[in-house]
Amino acid sequence: MRAAWAIATATVAQVLTLRRAIIFGAAALGPTLVYLLLVSTLSEEAALNRLGFMILIVYFPLLVPIVSLIVAAGVLGAERRDGTLSFLVLRPIPRWVIAAAKAAAAVTVAGGLNAFAALALTVSYSVESGTWDLVFPLLVGGLLASIIYAAIFVPLGFFTDRAVLVGLLFVFVFENGIVSALRSLSPLSPWRTGFSAFLALAPSDLLTPAALANTPVELISLSRAVLWTAIAAVVSVAAVALVLRNRDLTSE
Amino acid sequence: MSSDPALVDSPTVEVTDVSKWFGPKVAVSAMTCSFGPGVTGLLGPNGAGKTTLLRMLTGLIRPSQGTISVLGVWPRSKPGVYSDIGLVPEENAVYTHMTAREYVTYAATLSGIDDAGAAADKAIEEVALEDAADRKLAGYSKGMRQRAKVAAALVADPKILVLDEPLNGTDPVQRLRLIDLFRRLGEEGRTVIVSSHVLDEVERVSSRVLAIVDGRLAAAGDVAAIRRAMSDIPYRVRVETNRPRELAARLLEDAVVHGVAVDDGSLLVETNDLSALGNHLAVAAKRAEAIPTVFRPEDASLESVFRYLVRRR
Repeated sequence: MRAAWAIATATVAQVLTLRRAIIFGAAALGPTLVYLLLVSTLSEEAALNRLGFMILIVYFPLLVPIVSLIVAAGVLGAERRDGTLSFLVLRPIPRWVIAAAKAAAAVTVAGGLNAFAALALTVSYSVESGTWDLVFPLLVGGLLASIIYAAIFVPLGFFTDRAVLVGLLFVFVFENGIVSALRSLSPLSPWRTGFSAFLALAPSDLLTPAALANTPVELISLSRAVLWTAIAAVVSVAAVALVLRNRDLTSE
Repeated sequence: MSSDPALVDSPTVEVTDVSKWFGPKVAVSAMTCSFGPGVTGLLGPNGAGKTTLLRMLTGLIRPSQGTISVLGVWPRSKPGVYSDIGLVPEENAVYTHMTAREYVTYAATLSGIDDAGAAADKAIEEVALEDAADRKLAGYSKGMRQRAKVAAALVADPKILVLDEPLNGTDPVQRLRLIDLFRRLGEEGRTVIVSSHVLDEVERVSSRVLAIVDGRLAAAGDVAAIRRAMSDIPYRVRVETNRPRELAARLLEDAVVHGVAVDDGSLLVETNDLSALGNHLAVAAKRAEAIPTVFRPEDASLESVFRYLVRRR
């Protein structure tokens, strides 16, 4: 347990440098700033519609995936690229502990940054409206999506130096292109899983159909979203553990 | 007592018919050797396969063929054995956001040591990094990083220490201290494997040497045996002078010179003994009233020496 904690904390410090924290922090505040500019003169209902727009068009399909994949691709990828992987793996620690600690670090950083964005967005709405019912659902939705992205991009970062590029293609071409056109593929889109969880937890009378008109998502239930997230996390940790056990850990 | 100098009587690390290839490139070819308590030098030119062999010994990469056993097991199959293995990798890679103390303490924690802080302090003292221990590794020189990596490898008090070019980048004082440390660790009964492409460096660290070139074992044994093998090697030396023909005639008067060719105004001299040739050149130049301006062995690189040994073996 001490080793897992040490790996996770060291990885958080490694991934979240001051420069990155400033850049990601500013990016996380982006949706809130846009929202505040848009709603300054609007009624409460119109403000809610704008919030729904920011959540559906900016937070879930753009901010959460991009932040998550950049963070997750680096947690093992940077170790392999920088040559520090040997320091980590030549230790008397089960491989799955290393994999789980790395995944936990990715989720902590990506989930934390996405939670910061979610809080800024919903709190700025709640201060005006006095309604705080959207804060928790957005935190949960963002967290589930962050976990699934980490589950995909931690292993991918190990295999290729171009994991971020692959991730951006996945987000923009597959998720926000192909899946938007073929809604039956929604379960394969991590942000849609998070969005489904958000909608399942949000008060139904608050987010009106108008606020979420033309939602490009085939919604799944909260339990399915949680189950899918758990499966993705377990499969990812198992896959990384297998890779650490069976594959060459340095290149020529 | 084993008759094969590549093998030891009480091995802790055994390499049996091991090959490793990366695509079409063969990095290590059918190598059989073993390592036991004491210091063994792994000598060879850059690209010879030393790093690949050391990575296989530690389980970082798998052999394409053959078997490796460290303390009776293949490390990858039983990570528990890593509490007895310390590696100083060749890469200049450390966690630059950490201080040396944090780095070594991190290594101790991952190795399951209860009082990681105390173990780290002791290891840092071994490599004389106390004064800089609380500075970020990002600001360390290459030599200081090497010492931090050695401390991280030592912190768990391993039975087997694998050091890949550990003296790279160190200054003469640090080098002496590290050499003393490696020798002491060997004398304490640990298996210490030190790779280098510098014969003199290996000679100062260890008495037993395995020489590798082109992924194959070129020579094995004590340093004296390797030096004897190397003394048979024919050298070609380029000598530049203002009177090449006169100097060539005088040089041929001594048996140490096997042949001389005049090449583009300079001389190519063949000999088996560089040191004796140097002495003879001074005498011959005086007799020929010539002034030698350049004395340069053409093919005396370690790589060419090892290639010769491989051909002979």
